[in-house]
Amino acid sequence: MKSLNLQRVFARNTYLISFILLVIVLGINYIVQNNVFELRVLNNNLRTLLPLILLAVGQSIVVIGGGLDLSVGTLVSMLSALLVTWVTPDSTPDQILLAVVLVCAAGMLAGLVNGLVVAYLRLQPMITTYATSFIFSGIALLLLPRPGGSIPRDLSTFYRSPLLDIPLAFYAIALLLLFWSVLRTTRYAQYLYATGSSGAAAYATGVPVRVVRVTTYVWSGLFAALASLTLMLSTGGASQANIGDDMTLDSIVAVVLGGTRLSGGQGGIAGAIIGVMILRVIRNVIFFAAVPTWSQTLVNALIIIAALAGPGLIRLIRRSIGR
Amino acid sequence: MTLQLSVRSIVKRYGGVVALRDGNLDIQSGEVISLIGANGSGKSTLSKIITGVVAPNGGQLLLNGHPVHFSNPQAARGRGITAVYQELSLVPDMTVAENIWLAHEPLHLNFRVNRKAMRKNTEDLIALFGGTISERLQPDTLVTALPPDERQIVEILKALSIDPQLLILDEATASLDSSQVNRLFSLIKQWQAAGKAIIFITHRMDEIFRIADKATVLRNGQSVGTVDIASTSEREIVNMMIESAATPDDIKIPVVSEDAPVRLAVQNLGGGRVEDVSFTLRDGELLGLGGLHGQGQEDLLLALFGAIPYTGSVKVSGKEVHYRHPRDAMNDDIAFVPGDRGREGLLLVRSIIENFQLPSWHKYGALHNRDAAQRDARAMADDLQLVYAGMETPVNSLSGGNAQKVVLGKWLLRQPKLLLLDDPTKGVDVGTKGEFYALLKRLTEAGTAILFYSSDDDELLGLCNRVLVLQDGRVRDTLTGERLTHSELVAASMGATNNHEVA
Repeated sequence: MKSLNLQRVFARNTYLISFILLVIVLGINYIVQNNVFELRVLNNNLRTLLPLILLAVGQSIVVIGGGLDLSVGTLVSMLSALLVTWVTPDSTPDQILLAVVLVCAAGMLAGLVNGLVVAYLRLQPMITTYATSFIFSGIALLLLPRPGGSIPRDLSTFYRSPLLDIPLAFYAIALLLLFWSVLRTTRYAQYLYATGSSGAAAYATGVPVRVVRVTTYVWSGLFAALASLTLMLSTGGASQANIGDDMTLDSIVAVVLGGTRLSGGQGGIAGAIIGVMILRVIRNVIFFAAVPTWSQTLVNALIIIAALAGPGLIRLIRRSIGR
Repeated sequence: MTLQLSVRSIVKRYGGVVALRDGNLDIQSGEVISLIGANGSGKSTLSKIITGVVAPNGGQLLLNGHPVHFSNPQAARGRGITAVYQELSLVPDMTVAENIWLAHEPLHLNFRVNRKAMRKNTEDLIALFGGTISERLQPDTLVTALPPDERQIVEILKALSIDPQLLILDEATASLDSSQVNRLFSLIKQWQAAGKAIIFITHRMDEIFRIADKATVLRNGQSVGTVDIASTSEREIVNMMIESAATPDDIKIPVVSEDAPVRLAVQNLGGGRVEDVSFTLRDGELLGLGGLHGQGQEDLLLALFGAIPYTGSVKVSGKEVHYRHPRDAMNDDIAFVPGDRGREGLLLVRSIIENFQLPSWHKYGALHNRDAAQRDARAMADDLQLVYAGMETPVNSLSGGNAQKVVLGKWLLRQPKLLLLDDPTKGVDVGTKGEFYALLKRLTEAGTAILFYSSDDDELLGLCNRVLVLQDGRVRDTLTGERLTHSELVAASMGATNNHEVA
């Protein structure tokens, strides 16, 4: 009974192992960079991390539902371009609010297109979102042929300053976890996990599998919009047509580092948030450990592969011992 | 509330294959009807149509006299109709409670899932099987942690959770032990008394007589009649299940002589679905494996090929062996033609020649001797009368019969002494089947020992002189000589008890 419960705790809270990993890499980070937990440093790190955290949250919802979204990065590029063509340093609060709503709507619309193609035309998620990613990057280039854009200074100052001595990003993460813990109690969450784990079984039970699939991409589109908003806040509105393109792979790696299985039906957003932090901390460690500049990419890649292979290696070792 | 369902002239085609040509069934509240038929007679298709999982191509469902059309499983569940499916419909990564209440979770304020109520209701349901299940089966256990019998019980409880008016049990007893079956049967009696209608699909004859009021028999996708269980016999049901006009093939392979060397001797073999199977197979003999689908035939062949772990003793040519990998078996001149040729038998996008050579690359040297390989492959293709454009054509451009010849050919190139065949003529056209039978005859004449599972009863009866009939992983009967008849084969595969009485 006892061991069964423990097994269930780990099966349900797949981010536990990732959390342990995060603590370890943070410890290493502290050794090479003593000021990492100072408010200023923490705030800086988290602030630049928030866009990727949001993106990885959206990605994990898609992955839990049994899909994959390769278009999130270029979607951030497109939505950022959209935002800075609407918002200027002289925009009124009303105009800014309208732009924010429109960017969110555009993100959800883009997700809806992905979702409809995947769920109703039954194209492979990977192919579909890879293809639409070029549409988004094409639109981004049309909107913003040259790097540029800026937003009211007050906004970026607000985003930069801690609130009550706590980095703003902490509030955002708390909100995300609250959002997820509420969502997790709804019937929708049951549908989401059932669809991702076994679509056929879910269908035979009466779960509207296709509708659920579509919604996962709409979520992902919405979170891409939120990611582009925070990204523009942290750059002060300076954008370029490919600003988010590199974030796609990072979002997927973060999801996997967070213990969510790519085949779907398991995992959660807490894992994705931890995954993003692990990615960032590893980069930090490499930087402060004085790894030669030209080797940093390689070392980074090796560490990530080792982290990803960890669970599989543990399983192999356990099996060879004979359980 | 009473319910009366009539199924009228239902037709269902999958591509070109007709699964049901004329399905009929009548049932009303308080009745237990057994739906029976041989392999591929359309039982599962019919039950899926009633529950809205698949849509029929023709015919009508009448619910309380009114035509209904269920476009999806939800629609049927809305009318109180559901099924316990044969291939399980559980989500492995979710808990027992989550699975049972999936899509009709008890809610707080129409929004949040009421986990407390869900757990309580699940405990009540589990209590129905109390005493026949292990401590493991709790509301919060993940389904993936449960053994097959308890998963099956969860599946039954899941169907029950919607309080159905009509419940279909599609081979729900197949993985249950006897105490669980007894409990299920007493529950069925209670449900029946409470006015539920139950359609009971099984492959066990004794269960039909224990639980059903009536039996509706399907044959080749057609309902051939309904009988009252009280006034019928096992023999009458068996006769309804088989086609009276069926004639065995005239290619009879001669009985192998008693002093031919024993190629394979199996003692108390168990593994996978197989339990305690013993038999011997001599050189030049074609030994048939019969019975309904999934009674352990495939696992028996896999075990002998070293592809799944097994217990018991296996002797090949008098030598005790214990294979751990198919390569071990291949080294002893054993070949296995798998049942799912698309998945296990062929590299579909690769060429004919590559497929032919796959098990025998080493024969052509470290530096591949392409000419020799081509020569052998062509000879084999001619021998098998393979119809092909060129050796480089990808296998997925071939018809089913020709593709199967490639699977066979790639193993025959190794000149096996013992050939294991898993339903080799499935989805193969009639002409190719004929060539195939002639090939089996040639092989046995050349001294090859063949263990031959087929889901086509005519084939087994027509070709083999000895057929092992498996049920629930055990050899239920061995048919030889006079007893190689349809009725004996069907009776044995249903586990009928009066085998030796003549109707």
